[in-house]
Amino acid sequence: MAGTAQAGVAAPIPDHVPPELVYDARITEGAEFLAAPHKFMAELHQKAPPIFFSPGSEHQKPAWQLLKYEDAYFVLRHPEFFTSAGSGPFPRDPNDWWNIIPLEIEPPHHRKYRAIVDPLVSPKTVMTLELSIRKLANDLIDQFIDKGECEFAKDFGRPLPVGVFLDIMSLPRSMMDEFVRWAMGLLHAQDRQIAQQVMGEVTVYLNTVIREKAAHPDGGAVSAIVHGKPGGEPMSGREIFGFVFFLFIAGLDTVFATLNNIFVWLAENPERRQEIIDSPGNIDNIVEELLRVFSVTFSGRTLTQDYEIRGVKMKKGDRVTSILPSCNYDPEIFPDPTDVNFNRPRKPILAFAGGVHSCMGAHLARMEVKICLQEFLRRIPNFTLKPGTRIEYYPGGVVGPKSVPLAWR
Amino acid sequence: MPAVIYIEHDGTQHQVEVPDGDSVMQGAVNNMVNGVAGECGGGLACATCHCYVDEAWMDRVGTATGAESEMLEATFSERKPTSRLGCQIAVSEALDGLVVRLPETQY
Repeated sequence: MAGTAQAGVAAPIPDHVPPELVYDARITEGAEFLAAPHKFMAELHQKAPPIFFSPGSEHQKPAWQLLKYEDAYFVLRHPEFFTSAGSGPFPRDPNDWWNIIPLEIEPPHHRKYRAIVDPLVSPKTVMTLELSIRKLANDLIDQFIDKGECEFAKDFGRPLPVGVFLDIMSLPRSMMDEFVRWAMGLLHAQDRQIAQQVMGEVTVYLNTVIREKAAHPDGGAVSAIVHGKPGGEPMSGREIFGFVFFLFIAGLDTVFATLNNIFVWLAENPERRQEIIDSPGNIDNIVEELLRVFSVTFSGRTLTQDYEIRGVKMKKGDRVTSILPSCNYDPEIFPDPTDVNFNRPRKPILAFAGGVHSCMGAHLARMEVKICLQEFLRRIPNFTLKPGTRIEYYPGGVVGPKSVPLAWR
Repeated sequence: MPAVIYIEHDGTQHQVEVPDGDSVMQGAVNNMVNGVAGECGGGLACATCHCYVDEAWMDRVGTATGAESEMLEATFSERKPTSRLGCQIAVSEALDGLVVRLPETQY
């Protein structure tokens, strides 16, 4: 992000990009996108070519954009052509670079890193976390249920994934408020100075924790990383930091945004809320369908060689973004894609990307969403958005509302 | 190339030629066979390429052991004695004609 072109000064379109494929959708930042991001991404299938070239902006580098499910599915599963090296969307000093691990490491080395933390979020481990997540959800609800209102994003959507994250990392729950503040400052302050200051605080804290866990190993993820030996060799301090930092970012914001999106929809659709309450046996299909229509992220890659998809000739070094929320609205794969249909024939969704870099927290995220739906609707079955609420969305690479004020009697 | 026959939960059958050395999971996802998600790309991390090997092939394919067996304890659909993760079965000429049945859902 640092040092990119000023607003309004577009980078020249590369010569190999046909003019008819240039389309400035202004995804994640334009007014039309921010008014209703998921509607916008669904409608791109009617408005834009299936593969188009975004000229970029102050915040985004120029890149090919993929709308079709099949194209993203292919790209995500072929890291030999589409590498994620250097693709992490966080500001880093080029003179003091660190890799975001394991995202920016490619096969064959990638698996050695991922194997260090996979057991902590494996399907089996996640099953053992169910009771403690359910308890946390209820503890949070206890704090606001009698008030008849809450700011869902702040009171539930944020602390729930933070609490689960702290448990998995073996960090004290007493750090909850601090982590909530950091997550907000780093990811959503929309202010560079605040983000940089928070980044400094997070760096100091994570480095302290890394030293502590080096001296006193435990069963958590930080300890597993600190003591991990990918390929038999201990990691450098910089690698350890990049790994721990990535889990921090990945674990905090995505579930937050997903829950907030879902609860806006639930507040606006009482009959669908009742449908969920009335069909407890269908909860896994319900979670999967809500993850399909409210996917929150994008996958960026860079071409390692020239490559052609759908007759579009892309060049080595070009950036390629899979617009995963749009792919999940591909009418060829999901007929009537904007219908939220809990009895839809099952197809793998792309909410968690796919292939070697698929989300390692996918099972955990599914469990968290399931528990939140079950526990919140069990205790507060009827709620609305507070009268006069206008939902505003955060710009940026994780799509969700800024606040979700709910009220109930 | 060896062929693998995938039978979906609803009976839909796909005969797919899979390159020697590729996994049963790769054969399915590279040919958009429904019923195999293979979300983690073969890392033995997601348990979303669960399949049931046809009885007649079990002696050649073998049962799941070690980390794969542990992962199978957390599959969404019922684990059976013939349950395997498709990413852990390497296709070869010896397995030409292999029949695997796919569960209704992977998560």
